[in-house]
Amino acid sequence: MRDFANIAARRLLLLLLTVAAVAVLSTLLVRLAPGFGMDERQLDLRLTGRSVAAIRARAAPDTWRCLTGWLRGDWGSSISLRQPVRELVSERAGITLRTLAAGLAIAWAASALLCLAGLWVHRTALDCALTLAAGGLLCLPAAVVAVLAMYFEAGPAWALALVLFPRVMRYARGILTAGWRRPHVLAARSRGVGPGALALRHVCLPAAPELLALAGISVSLAAGAVVPVEALCDSAGIGQLVWQAALARDLPVLVPLTMLAAAVTCAANLCADAGRVLVCRWV
Amino acid sequence: MRRVARIALLAIFGLMLAAEWIAPYPYDRQFRDQAHAAPSRGHLLGTDAIGRDRFARLLYGGRISLVLAPAAALVSVALALAIAVSATLAGGLWERAAMIAVDLVLALPWIFLLLAVRAILPLNTSPAVSAGVIFALLGSLGWAAPARILAAAVKSQLRSDYVLAARAAGCALPRLALVHVIPNLAPVTVAQFWVTAPVFLLSEANLSLLGLGIAEPMPSWGNLLRDLQNLPSLARQPWVAAPLVLLIVTLSCCHAAQPSVEDLR
Repeated sequence: MRDFANIAARRLLLLLLTVAAVAVLSTLLVRLAPGFGMDERQLDLRLTGRSVAAIRARAAPDTWRCLTGWLRGDWGSSISLRQPVRELVSERAGITLRTLAAGLAIAWAASALLCLAGLWVHRTALDCALTLAAGGLLCLPAAVVAVLAMYFEAGPAWALALVLFPRVMRYARGILTAGWRRPHVLAARSRGVGPGALALRHVCLPAAPELLALAGISVSLAAGAVVPVEALCDSAGIGQLVWQAALARDLPVLVPLTMLAAAVTCAANLCADAGRVLVCRWV
Repeated sequence: MRRVARIALLAIFGLMLAAEWIAPYPYDRQFRDQAHAAPSRGHLLGTDAIGRDRFARLLYGGRISLVLAPAAALVSVALALAIAVSATLAGGLWERAAMIAVDLVLALPWIFLLLAVRAILPLNTSPAVSAGVIFALLGSLGWAAPARILAAAVKSQLRSDYVLAARAAGCALPRLALVHVIPNLAPVTVAQFWVTAPVFLLSEANLSLLGLGIAEPMPSWGNLLRDLQNLPSLARQPWVAAPLVLLIVTLSCCHAAQPSVEDLR
């Protein structure tokens, strides 16, 4: 139990540190950006000094107040869309979560099925086909995969799955192949254990800690790939919002979204680590 | 297979470096009366929407991608090597701090940061500066994964007999690092370079396809891929896919040409 608490505490600390680092970096970026603290209304001679000061304070908010505002949940307002960032995120989060969940599920299901089929059938042709498919997809930029998915009307979840599949499969294949070659699997096969029980009980279960670590990493990969996928598949999620904000140089939107993405990837790795420790005890 | 991949890679690299002699026109010369032209003797891969020669842009674009991505990978791996060696040899607090920094950088969402940094560049940033900034960013953000692997390799070297003998003979830490540790890290370092360079090529392509990479009129393989956004026209103009084909061939060669650790020993 102490191991579990140690890992959880370390990961939580890392999560907090990451979010803090992103917050500091993002604040620096906002301050360094051209045009920071400037508002054309400051040049309006009809305005009183008090009004100009108020406009200036709004255009160049105090850094400390910004940082504490993010902690309180006040994420500021989008310059280009003229809407509170929190509202924008809550409108789009559902779409992105659905895309991420579906993409990850398809990629993992396809990888697991093909890897286990490859191990069970053990045909050179299937091995070569899997290697070629994964290698070919690895050479395609995520944005090109998204364009292809858009053309074939496959939707963002399939595009994300195609981006994740070769990466997940490459590592999962290595892990499962190593598990398949263990002596206890050979013993189980010689005793006539069926393919389902063999795959689940004797190969996947002992490999669960490594597979869980891979699951954590695959969430980070998916969070990165969701930006080109949603932008090019015209899916109104957070990825598309990030892209639009970058094109419009809307830093008040980019900053909290970067923090959110960092928090999500850290949380996914935290869950994967916690799960790994629990599974290690159980297995 | 590895030899074929290396020869192909060298040929592509040589072709791109010789762009000035091979390309029939400068990459930004416009033939306004020949926009969207099909391949011909004058324009081997036709022309784009504003009449620029696609073949010339492919060669010059390849030069930018193929020179800057390995350069960024070199920066990343050099940073990783410096951090891994100094942190592991110094040990204690510095090592712990370096490993926390590695975890931190690995947890950062790269693409979000790249987009944020790209967004703060002034609108009048020149194409050359935008290209430099993109690859400098990639180089400075990509050190964490190689650093973790190199730190593990340094740790295993510190347990080896020759390092123990050198330390027992009173070898100072800088000399130990320069003479005994770093030369023996060459296989892992070279392998990390081969893994990192294709990742940077892909990252640049993704950013440029989103319109946030290298600014026009400077070509790169990434921004040449933007023509693929009009996929229905690809059936009528298959030559538009030439940058994608070349990118896939180059990346496949990079993967196939990666030397194994045994090769480097």
